[in-house]
Amino acid sequence: MRTKAKLSQAVEEAFLYLSQLPDIVEVEVFASSNAQNVFRIDYKSHILCNGGEEAKSKEDYGIGVQAIFKTADGIKIGFGSESNNLSLEGAKIALEKAREGAVPDNEFVSLPKTIELKRTLYDYHDPEMLELSEKDFIAAGWKILDGAIKEFLNSETLKKLALLKNKPVSSLGLIVGGDMTVVAESIAVASTSMPEIQTDESTFVTVQITAMVEKFDAKGSGYGSYAKLSKIDDKAGKEAAQNAIDACGVIINGEIQKPLSIASGTYPVIFGPQPVSELMSNLIIPSLGADAFWGLQSPFTGQFGKQVVSSEINIFDDAANPEYVGAKGITCEGLPTKRTELIKAGVLNDILSNWYETQRLLHKDPEAEKKLGKDPKELYRQGKLFPTSGFRFNRGGGRGYDATAGISGTNTVFEGTNPKNIKELVADVPFGIYIGRIWYCYPMNGLKAGDFTATVIADSFVIKDGKIMAPLKANAVRINDNIMRVLNSVKAVSNGKKASIIWAADEVPVACDILVSNVTLEEIGAEEAPPTGV
Amino acid sequence: MAYERVTIELGEHLKQDLRNVLNDFKKAKNCVSHADARINISEGQYAASQNGILKGSGRDYSLELHTRVIAGRKVNASGYYGISLGPTDIPDFAKIVKMALEKSYGRAMANAEHKFERMVSWKELGNTLWDTRLARVPIHEKTIPAKFLIWPLDVSLDTIGKTVKKISKELKKNDAKLQINDIYLATWVEREIFASAEGALIDQTFCYTQGITYVLAVSKNVQQEHYDCFGHQRGWEIVENGVNEEFTRFPNFRQFSFNLAHEASTLSACPPCPWTDKPVVVITDPHYNTLKVHEIVGHPTELDRILKMETAYAGRSWLFKNFEENMLGKRVGSALLNAYSDPTLPGYGHYQYDHEGTPAKRVWHIKNGILLGFMNSRQTSAIFGDTACDPNGHWKANGGQVVPLIRMSNTVFAEGDKNPNDIISEVEHGYYLVGHRIPSIAESRENFRISARKVYEIKNGKPVRLYRDGGMMADTHDYFMNVDAVGNDFRLYPIFNCGKGQPMQAKRLGNGGPTMRSRAKLTGGAK
Repeated sequence: MRTKAKLSQAVEEAFLYLSQLPDIVEVEVFASSNAQNVFRIDYKSHILCNGGEEAKSKEDYGIGVQAIFKTADGIKIGFGSESNNLSLEGAKIALEKAREGAVPDNEFVSLPKTIELKRTLYDYHDPEMLELSEKDFIAAGWKILDGAIKEFLNSETLKKLALLKNKPVSSLGLIVGGDMTVVAESIAVASTSMPEIQTDESTFVTVQITAMVEKFDAKGSGYGSYAKLSKIDDKAGKEAAQNAIDACGVIINGEIQKPLSIASGTYPVIFGPQPVSELMSNLIIPSLGADAFWGLQSPFTGQFGKQVVSSEINIFDDAANPEYVGAKGITCEGLPTKRTELIKAGVLNDILSNWYETQRLLHKDPEAEKKLGKDPKELYRQGKLFPTSGFRFNRGGGRGYDATAGISGTNTVFEGTNPKNIKELVADVPFGIYIGRIWYCYPMNGLKAGDFTATVIADSFVIKDGKIMAPLKANAVRINDNIMRVLNSVKAVSNGKKASIIWAADEVPVACDILVSNVTLEEIGAEEAPPTGV
Repeated sequence: MAYERVTIELGEHLKQDLRNVLNDFKKAKNCVSHADARINISEGQYAASQNGILKGSGRDYSLELHTRVIAGRKVNASGYYGISLGPTDIPDFAKIVKMALEKSYGRAMANAEHKFERMVSWKELGNTLWDTRLARVPIHEKTIPAKFLIWPLDVSLDTIGKTVKKISKELKKNDAKLQINDIYLATWVEREIFASAEGALIDQTFCYTQGITYVLAVSKNVQQEHYDCFGHQRGWEIVENGVNEEFTRFPNFRQFSFNLAHEASTLSACPPCPWTDKPVVVITDPHYNTLKVHEIVGHPTELDRILKMETAYAGRSWLFKNFEENMLGKRVGSALLNAYSDPTLPGYGHYQYDHEGTPAKRVWHIKNGILLGFMNSRQTSAIFGDTACDPNGHWKANGGQVVPLIRMSNTVFAEGDKNPNDIISEVEHGYYLVGHRIPSIAESRENFRISARKVYEIKNGKPVRLYRDGGMMADTHDYFMNVDAVGNDFRLYPIFNCGKGQPMQAKRLGNGGPTMRSRAKLTGGAK
């Protein structure tokens, strides 16, 4: 990793030189250094495996230059970058690439300028993570796996189940998979309108573990997110294993009630934090980006200030809150981060944006008011459409020097207006399901249409007469519904927020449970195993 | 010597360093059972336009290095290391490779110690921890050049920019319904060099040219957004001339974009596709089958998935529960169903060696409806231990600094012998799905729902109505068993964004097939 000081020095030197060049109208210099260490876990009790399957890492550093050029053909905007070279020569090379590829984008207004907002988050990284030792990295990974295995070894339930079949516990097909990812990011940025060098350092660890007792089609998940290396524990492994054991069956009056499937139909459904997080990452947050409004892709198009979903729903992006590991002190455009209230009591209140999209909506799009539903300039005066979500994330780790800033959430939070205890939500369900984990959740007919599907894969239960009755059989239910219908059918929201780790996502969603009426479910894989003869 | 930029030609010099350092490393270290190193050099250029306005363009290069070591005192384990490099690193390249191997070695040794400890402390649950090894493969030295007519680096950036801008501008003017269009073109060269301490030295160069067209059409409050990928392992010539090969056929990129735009515009005036409660006759065209074979044949026949290594991410496979309960050698589909993966096919997933130097070869997944085999790597082949699973060269990374995974090469439904027009004309009532859109697949691939760009209702052998926002849904086994017609119109298409792994790797590969007929439930918008 290159230090923040080194990046700062590089940016300062580059900025001072480049901004003096005669054909430069404005210039922004961005430098970053990123390291991602991943410990991948693969354990099976019935198939040969390594336990610690991969101890791996990737790292990069470099400098990126975005510039506005005065040319014989008019004003042009270009971007270029150079890897592994923070010297002035590196910046010059990046500038040449920017110059060569510069284009006359007449929707481009300017490079980022200061806004009426002060930075609030500083010094939130863990210095130990920046100096992560190989020994600690690998030991932490094995510790998480130990947590799961110990849970399996000590489980009386598994011993009973194995005894029923007169076989050892290992014959139950125990599986533990997942990873621990340690991310360290450093950035420095300066530009013509913001010549004071802005820097940021962030570090975090995420853990996602899946465990199974395959003989019972029982699957459980465990998650962890840590701001400090010293806090990494075996909780995610233990939790995944325990959830898998629980999913083998619910013991009622000393008898094991095996997992059940459910017939196709519409049901009241409680979506747990992980499914709500998936809905957020794949459907809701993309629909709340300024680019989606400009591009007519959002189902919330034209609805600013209007009731768009259930009044029980509040969604915000909490970028400057270090309580959650997605926090960032500044954006990758050098602007302060803040809490952005996207949906307040069901009303569309604000959207996520970067500098380019905010300026485009404010100054370049004659249809902007129609697309937003309100005058963008008026919204801006109210402190909305602020460009405080411009990031150069690298799909789950790292702030890239080799791209301009897109729009991304950080800590994306879903919480209730009148949250209740989860028991109250369960008690309100005469016959339905609690969904703990979904999979492959995508908009099937475009984001605006809102139609989505997903399958239910783990941590789920059948509810009857207001009580958990039995685990839901894994991979036996597909959800086919519409996100706007679902969000408008939210009856209640729980008071238990939990962070989930979503594969390939840059944001860290934090969500609670929601009770939704009349969710359309399809039973899948209903038949017995296929015939085995030829 | 200072280097100003990274170039494809650098590979000549770097590969010797790679080989020499590996040889020295193996000699110097105790307890190493395997070591390899891989570099990826890339040079290319791109341009993007939106609604007739150029949004960006550029020319760039990259150099990435990855090393793997398998080592241990009492038992072996793996360690990996990846890094992005630049021109300033080239004079020290040999030192950097040595450092990377040392890091990988340190990780392997530490990992091995932990593993050995658990073999004891986990009691019966430690019995499946194994001594990591790789199945044997022939050791080759080979250099394979790229195939092209117009070298990607010989095209001026200005030409690429003008091309996307012109297409984007014309689309905007051509149809008032087309509100948004995004046109992206990239053309580049990649040189992949692999060396192992066993003596392998594989040097493969690829040309890629890829275009993405995205369109959004609006008609009376009905919106249709569609995108498609145009691409091949060729030079810039495909943008101007299209592709007219045996299996891959594209018009030129301008026509490709206009075709998609016209489709979106037409569909925006069509009614929404209805749902059916029960399975109906469905015919699917080669483009739709591209995504279908990807999701319900390709992914569930990746051996890492079969061996439950992807349980936390990509899922498992309904084809294999364990070594005693699985579908190998058993019927999974009708006798007309055939599918295989073949890196030697001239598609977007073509290569001759994978990223551990294994010669790539065709592997049959399903023949006459019987499950036969899986895509694998050297390690998974060793674990599986069946000669039917000898290494077939499917371990690939999407870049030079990440660990490879088992990935599809060109995974396809095999051609049949029926005229696709007959497949449609024989149907009294059914639906014809054309063009793939978005997939959603169950965890073990046992159920799928894939939306289509167009759905035609067929009555008495003729298309009578066109629907938008439709697709199909089925349990995979049922769908396979009901395949009753397979066409003779085999086509290969590019997939540019198959995601797998942690960190996620978006991989380019090839998929395809002919027109097929089976049964499934029809899906539409939300009910």
